[in-house]
Amino acid sequence: MRAGFVERTLEDLHRATDLAVVSERIADGPGLLQRIDARVKLAGLAALIVAAAVARSLSVLAGLFALAFALALASRVPIRTLATRAWIGALVFSGAIALPAIALTPGRVVGRPLGIEVTLQGLRSAAFLVGRVETAATFALLLVVTTPWGRILAALRAFRVPVVFVVILGMTYRYVFVLLRSAHDMFVARRSRSLGLLPASERRRLATATAGVLLSKTYRLSEEVYLAMQARGFRGEVFAMDDARMRGTDWIAALSFAAFAGTAVWLGR
Amino acid sequence: MAPMHIPDGYLSPSTCAALYAASAPFWAVALRRVRRLLLTRFVPLVSLVAAFSFVVMMFNLPLPGGTTGHAVGIGIAAIVLGPWGAMLAVSVALLIQALFFGDGGITTLGANVFNMAIVGSLTASACYRLLAARAPLISPRRVAAAGIAGYVAINASALCAALQLGIQPLVFTDPTGTPLYAPYPLHIAIPAMMIGHLTLAGLAEFVLSAGIVAYLQTSDLELLRGAAPARTAAPSLRPLWIGLAMLLILTPLGLLAAGTAWSEWSPAAFADPASRAQIAASSLGAAPPAHVPAGLGRLASVWAAPLRGYSAPFVRNPALAYAMTALLGAGFALLAVQLLRGPGVRSRAGAAD
Amino acid sequence: MNAPVPLFELDSLTFRYDEVVALDGVTLAIPRGKRIALLGPNGSGKSTLLRLLDGLEFGSGTLRFDGAEFTEERLRDESFANDFRRRVGLVFQNPDVQLFNPSVFAELAFGPLQLRWSPATIRERVAAAMREMDLEGLRDRPPHRLSGGEKKRVALASVLVVDPEVLLLDEPTAALDPRAQSQVIDLLVGWGEGAKTTVTATQDLGIVEDIADLCVVFSAGRVVAQGTPSEIVGDEDLLRRTGLLHEHRHVHADGSVHVHPHLHRPGRGHS
Repeated sequence: MRAGFVERTLEDLHRATDLAVVSERIADGPGLLQRIDARVKLAGLAALIVAAAVARSLSVLAGLFALAFALALASRVPIRTLATRAWIGALVFSGAIALPAIALTPGRVVGRPLGIEVTLQGLRSAAFLVGRVETAATFALLLVVTTPWGRILAALRAFRVPVVFVVILGMTYRYVFVLLRSAHDMFVARRSRSLGLLPASERRRLATATAGVLLSKTYRLSEEVYLAMQARGFRGEVFAMDDARMRGTDWIAALSFAAFAGTAVWLGR
Repeated sequence: MAPMHIPDGYLSPSTCAALYAASAPFWAVALRRVRRLLLTRFVPLVSLVAAFSFVVMMFNLPLPGGTTGHAVGIGIAAIVLGPWGAMLAVSVALLIQALFFGDGGITTLGANVFNMAIVGSLTASACYRLLAARAPLISPRRVAAAGIAGYVAINASALCAALQLGIQPLVFTDPTGTPLYAPYPLHIAIPAMMIGHLTLAGLAEFVLSAGIVAYLQTSDLELLRGAAPARTAAPSLRPLWIGLAMLLILTPLGLLAAGTAWSEWSPAAFADPASRAQIAASSLGAAPPAHVPAGLGRLASVWAAPLRGYSAPFVRNPALAYAMTALLGAGFALLAVQLLRGPGVRSRAGAAD
Repeated sequence: MNAPVPLFELDSLTFRYDEVVALDGVTLAIPRGKRIALLGPNGSGKSTLLRLLDGLEFGSGTLRFDGAEFTEERLRDESFANDFRRRVGLVFQNPDVQLFNPSVFAELAFGPLQLRWSPATIRERVAAAMREMDLEGLRDRPPHRLSGGEKKRVALASVLVVDPEVLLLDEPTAALDPRAQSQVIDLLVGWGEGAKTTVTATQDLGIVEDIADLCVVFSAGRVVAQGTPSEIVGDEDLLRRTGLLHEHRHVHADGSVHVHPHLHRPGRGHS
């Protein structure tokens, strides 16, 4: 479909908004991880991702994946969300990349399907790649779908990420939705059947001019936001405050994360 | 998923750590500038451009040849914000992509930031200033300069990514010879990555950067003047030098880990008795075939063909390959920083309002 | 006995955006404890005046705040700036501009944090403002998941949290559904009797009698009339001249054409 770039862009823009809204709904809902302090979750899940990256044993990797799956179930993250946002994409992308490695990696040949020599090392290598990608993607997804964004930002500050960086991060995420909406409206306005009749160069010009309009809007908006910040006392330095307190359950969660990650690193070394 | 966004699991933890460490001093310099210029509108500007860069990555751009492609927007961010602001904006966009949309990993964020936000922004800025020189803001030369800047930047980023991916099987294998991370060595990783970027991804970046600059020339010239406030004095780049020095010092540590030989991967090595013995030893005693595995031979010749000319010296030696990777990345960055400190900077100073 | 010093005094205040004159020699006094409505069509200079009153832009001519000249230099002084920002608050028309924080809590805490209040005070004041503006339960909600009315309430709360004595409001009822509009109007009505000085830029003639003690009509950057709400709303000729009122033609079933004046009320359609 030659005129499809507008439709496809609209789909991508919708997808982004939907993903965020789904995350926020799950984060507001009940579940195991939802009850845990964001700092504990950030550090704990990051440690598990690192453990998955370090593991040199496929069974440890499988164990970590099982843990991720168990946490997802306990946090009432729908399987559908896991599949569409972490598993399928990672499997298709990394699977396609890993597939030739089965034959390309030198080592002990274990079979010759279709005349291609498949090596044990190749199979294991592909399993490592896909296993790591799937496991890490699941842990990362668990963090974002069980934690309100504001809490993730506060957790980053707690880990000494410079306040100005966290403020920029927060403001970026906030305005992603405003710009997604703007881009969406512009593409809807441009959606027309006659678009397909335009020469390719015209369609290209249309797409980049839309991006240009969006950039102009972005710039004006940033100036207005700057005034709004000043109006509320912004004088160059940004301040932030956190009011989260660690409770008993948070400490237990922290210890559990440490135990799981530590065990995985030790067993998988 | 864009191939440029390296997911978790493709790079070893030590590579990830090294690239986080390499990115840190750049962030420090960029943040210091932001802090210095904070009384200006820099914080909302960087945030908004980061959001723009995130959104524009979703645009399907019609490319010559009837396909569509996605651009990263490095070129245009660097033109509007300058290299340091663009570095922050693209970093933030990458972090949000990694966290919320699973594009790119958490452990590999340092690598993605290094490749796209740092090498990309510096390369794009340097190219644009070099090519646009003092051409008037409405000159067609600026459109071409922007397109080329985007094209070169995305390819420089891709090359860095390819080098990082390509050294993984040289250095990080288990005792059986199983690659633990990205499985393809340099002579496959580089062409595999670059073919896509020299064509489609590069073209998308060219189209976006050039197209937006052409639009701004007719509709919003102010943005081309450089929305980023002019710097008052050149800030210290010391943290940057320290970081690069650290990277170069740490490189030999990576080399110590490089026990398995690169030659294991080379088709020629299968005929060499010494390396056959080594492969046998590392393959739990299973003797490797005396001939080149059919699949490997075929694919390697396809992939290696475009590289044959220059690959010989460093592709054969893992130590050299590792060092080359570090040097190339550092070299790109240094070159760009040097270019940016040239006269082009002063011409911007008067332009900002 | 001398009359009290007006809160703001403007003398031949002029402001240009590049080539365009946004305010053209405005002379005006804004008395303490009164509710002022700035009326005029888009581009007549109302929003620009609010920005000058809030010290976000500076024009030529004189602007006095609390009896002393109000300049960019004075606002650079930290203690003056903090005092001014606490006493004067501006609510922008566009909630996407006003709400730049990632959550409702962060939005409300932003102003107090910039004024360096203590964390305990901030927590207390933010909690109180959330109660007053009926925002409890939205604490961690990001702005993109708020309705139009909720956004407006958060925007107002983000300014009211520091309890300013002067409130500058830019089109506070624009693009709101009727229920959200009446919530905002109730607040403005409640600030009568000198509780706060409010300056509201609006095109909504239907609300001015409820929310203002004094009306100032703008046209092309100049003040063209001042008076009580009933005087201004009753002056059909003035309203038509300044574009606040427009003729509306109806073709009736019998074929006759009926022309009657309409109040222009953005966000509500025609009344």
